[in-house]
Amino acid sequence: MGSVPHPFCVKGKELAMTEEYIMMQDMIQEHKERMDHLKKYYPFFKLADNDLMMWKEGKYSCLDMGYITLAVLRFFIDENSLKDKDVRYVEYEQFLHSVFVRDFQMELTKEEEKELCSYLFDKLLNEGKPFSFHYYDPKDHQKKSFRVKLLESKIVDSELYYYITPDAIEFYLDTKEIKEESSISVEQLLLSKLIAAQNFRGGIEVVKRINREVLKLKLKKNQILNLLSVDVFEGKQAYESYVGEITKWFQEEQRLFKKNTDLIAKALAKAESGRQGSENSHFYSILNDIYILEVELRKAMYQHSELLSLCTSMQQNVDDIVKKSKLSTLRNAFDFHHAMGRMMEQDNVDALEHLMIPLFGIKLKKNFNLFQIEDMIHLKAENDEDLELVSEGMEEDYIFEDELEEQRINNNFDAIAKVLLEFLLTRESFSLREFNSELKKVLGEGVLVNGDYYTFLIHMCQKEEYDVEEMKKKPETFFEEIIYKLLIRKTTYDGLAFRLVRKGEDTVKITDMLEISDIQFEKVDREWKREI
Amino acid sequence: MEERNLDKAIDILTKLMNGEEVGKSFDAALYESYSTNAEVYELVHRILRRMNIQLYEYHDSLYVTAGENNQVFGFTNGDLRKELGLKVNRELYMCYFIIYQIITCFYKDSAGYNFTEYIRIEDVITAVDASLSHIIDNLEILAENETEEHSFKTIALMWNELPAATEEAVRAAKNSKAGYVKLVFNFLVTQQLMAESQERYYLKEKAKAFIEHYFEDNKGRLYQIIKGEEQEDATY
Repeated sequence: MGSVPHPFCVKGKELAMTEEYIMMQDMIQEHKERMDHLKKYYPFFKLADNDLMMWKEGKYSCLDMGYITLAVLRFFIDENSLKDKDVRYVEYEQFLHSVFVRDFQMELTKEEEKELCSYLFDKLLNEGKPFSFHYYDPKDHQKKSFRVKLLESKIVDSELYYYITPDAIEFYLDTKEIKEESSISVEQLLLSKLIAAQNFRGGIEVVKRINREVLKLKLKKNQILNLLSVDVFEGKQAYESYVGEITKWFQEEQRLFKKNTDLIAKALAKAESGRQGSENSHFYSILNDIYILEVELRKAMYQHSELLSLCTSMQQNVDDIVKKSKLSTLRNAFDFHHAMGRMMEQDNVDALEHLMIPLFGIKLKKNFNLFQIEDMIHLKAENDEDLELVSEGMEEDYIFEDELEEQRINNNFDAIAKVLLEFLLTRESFSLREFNSELKKVLGEGVLVNGDYYTFLIHMCQKEEYDVEEMKKKPETFFEEIIYKLLIRKTTYDGLAFRLVRKGEDTVKITDMLEISDIQFEKVDREWKREI
Repeated sequence: MEERNLDKAIDILTKLMNGEEVGKSFDAALYESYSTNAEVYELVHRILRRMNIQLYEYHDSLYVTAGENNQVFGFTNGDLRKELGLKVNRELYMCYFIIYQIITCFYKDSAGYNFTEYIRIEDVITAVDASLSHIIDNLEILAENETEEHSFKTIALMWNELPAATEEAVRAAKNSKAGYVKLVFNFLVTQQLMAESQERYYLKEKAKAFIEHYFEDNKGRLYQIIKGEEQEDATY
């Protein structure tokens, strides 16, 4: 509806004219080509229309002519193309006998069977005439006709042989195999027939079609990769079937390529040997066709091999995409379309600059400002430049809260450690309870409810034995660092060593809220320890 | 620090700063020393950090680009106008927009390359057309009002007024859509971000390294810029 052009719209008129031109091209110019394509189907429908009702009073009306036609064609393909041999009439009869018995459960006498086979064979050969169909060619303004044969005959050593025509092969394979199998193989089978029939021009067309097929498969690779980038699951499936098809057909196709190359070589040799008998111009024309055919076939073989290597490299790409897709489901990436949508929504075109500039690498070209170069040449003094005034003042020290806290902790730890070491100088051993009383005596009642005291105990309990001399060399823990600071200031603790014995069951109650395991502080004889 | 390691680090930096590539397939020995010698690695990173230069590792190769607001090694709008042969900023913004669309032809998001092998000029024209279509549809209304220089409407208006192409052989020029795209492609080829063959444009590894790393590493900041939350000094 929307495509109907407005009568006054120039663009619409042009469009309508273009559409009409395309339609005329399709209808008139290409009509012959379409009829040529249709011709291979014509014999089948003509034969299938014959329901055998009129022959022998409908005695064989149970037979299906369509099925028999296809079965016979398949038999000929098998014999001619696959086994590479022509068929004698007797072989055809034997084949049909099995069809009558197996597929139609018919019990016929020998005479009846002979008669039926002969009748059907006449139909298949169209009584020796080609199947012809008349049509009108609008391009040349005249009636034309096409002629198709399903089977042909030849006499070799006074014996009659039958063989299938390229049109019949094309028709048969077009009914199913072309959809399922590689069209490259199908075209190659046809090519073999054409070379054998010395139709080199036709062969060139077929190889060109093969080349187009290979190219189509190459392009399909990009389509699959595009699909993968949009939908990994769909893409992976498409990739698997694509690779599966190519690898499945590849060997068969390669074999057929080789066979056709050999056929061309034979054709060339045959043309050379028949040179004397033919005119020079005819000989060179054939030679030229064979040469072009050979070049085209080599091109096709090269592209075909390239296709397989593309498949191999594609495997790596697909693995990468799948891996990245797995990762991207887990992480949040920068979505380009979404980002552009947001930029447009905000009409923030300036953002483009920030997004793009870092992608251009580093600026390698350097140039001076022209005015600066002029200044350098004339060595102009900067007269109008003002000096910056720097005012003198005292630098202020700021103490932050965390620094204050650190200072407090250090002071508290220092005081508690000092009490501990002094107490150790006077006694050989004491408990935590006794140490607490000493602390209360020296530092006051409040010390036991101070949080730093407990932190001190935790740090102290990190090791079980302490040696002042060792600490002096290298303090290992935070507790040892505190002691070390004391040791720098005072030498009376030199040679002191003690150990902590934890008494897990005995507990010391400090306030109503707090209770900790008792610890026994024991002085250690350093000399004795060294001997040990 | 060993003097030999310092020499190697300087060699790597010199190559990178000269726009050359250092990687397994370009200068294997230097790359080897970067990837296996911790001191060389540390030196290269430390020096580049001080110079405000970003180093990206991608598929066993090293690439550098200027850090944010790098006054010495970074491009300014003025530099880029000169490189692209443009007179005004709105033309430059058009080129930025085209470059962004080129990226979207190869990437859906920064997490992964979509394996498009190459693109042609017409692909980019289609992408720009599609991206600006909803603004172009409303251009009749917009054209009545004065458009600001820095706006997507200006870009859409400029793009819409251009013919698709002026002649059969596309020349890099501002007189057609194809010409603009070609201008951008030529610039990207000179920056060694793309390679051209038979009018097909392929993304080079260097471009992939920048796109994947830059957008991935800076996505938070970039989204803020896009939302207009982070106002930074424009470089002119």
